[in-house]
Amino acid sequence: MATEEDNTVREPLDLIRLSLDEKVYVKLKGERELRGKLHAYDQHLNMILGDVEETVTMVEIDEETFEEIIKTNKRMVPYLFVRGDGVILVSPPLRS
Amino acid sequence: MSGGETGLAQYVDTTVSVITNDGRTIVGTLRGYDQATNLILDECHERVYSSKSGVEQLVLGLYVIRGDNIAVIGEVDDDKDASIDFSAVRAAPLKPVTH
Amino acid sequence: MLFYSYFKTLVGKEVTVELKNDLAITGTLHSVDQYLNIKLNNIRVVNEQKYPHMLSVRACFVRGSVVRFILLPPGSVDVELLHDATRREARGG
Repeated sequence: MATEEDNTVREPLDLIRLSLDEKVYVKLKGERELRGKLHAYDQHLNMILGDVEETVTMVEIDEETFEEIIKTNKRMVPYLFVRGDGVILVSPPLRS
Repeated sequence: MSGGETGLAQYVDTTVSVITNDGRTIVGTLRGYDQATNLILDECHERVYSSKSGVEQLVLGLYVIRGDNIAVIGEVDDDKDASIDFSAVRAAPLKPVTH
Repeated sequence: MLFYSYFKTLVGKEVTVELKNDLAITGTLHSVDQYLNIKLNNIRVVNEQKYPHMLSVRACFVRGSVVRFILLPPGSVDVELLHDATRREARGG
């Protein structure tokens, strides 16, 4: 019975609870994305992720051709606390 | 270890350097604070950073700064601060905080 | 309360706080409060060449609301403990 209750998804945060210890995708404000294992979260969507890959996307305008140049910066972080107010979306377990 | 004092009591009557959310740096003597991080800064001045010229100092006087607009409050080492030639420091202004 | 309690266990450890103005500050965690305001000692700014704005600052208070990330010391993350605490918190609230 307890298992049934634990696996019921009624609210958004239930889905996130089921993603604990799984790799998730997190989109943040400021064109930032994270992929990492979810180790902790709270009701504000503050989170701790492990083995995180952060991708920051920047658009630069070429001064001569006015073309948009899209640049991405990636970095790896062993453990990262993420403040919830910057979170736009959390996508449950990734296959990769 | 449960941690030290979280308030700003230990900074009172010392020189602090405040970084505001719009990217300004204001240095002064902390006279008071409250729960919302509102501050009373005495004899303060702004340090205006520029990548083209040295740091400019603007005299501001007595300020009350609203907590919502504060990013960082730094405890200044007065001796170290006095040893810095700010007219030779060139740096782009800090970016504003984007929530 | 989960993260407040967790950060209290990191007091004395070195962390890097990345702010929403892109400034990153490394220092010894001195204290944390319920708003996740943070005090750091023995600080240094990451990329001091670009950010000389805190050269004479030895300790600082960072307002919780301007924090984007906190890079945690790998040795102080007990994954199992975090999972348990998160499940407890999810049930409670």
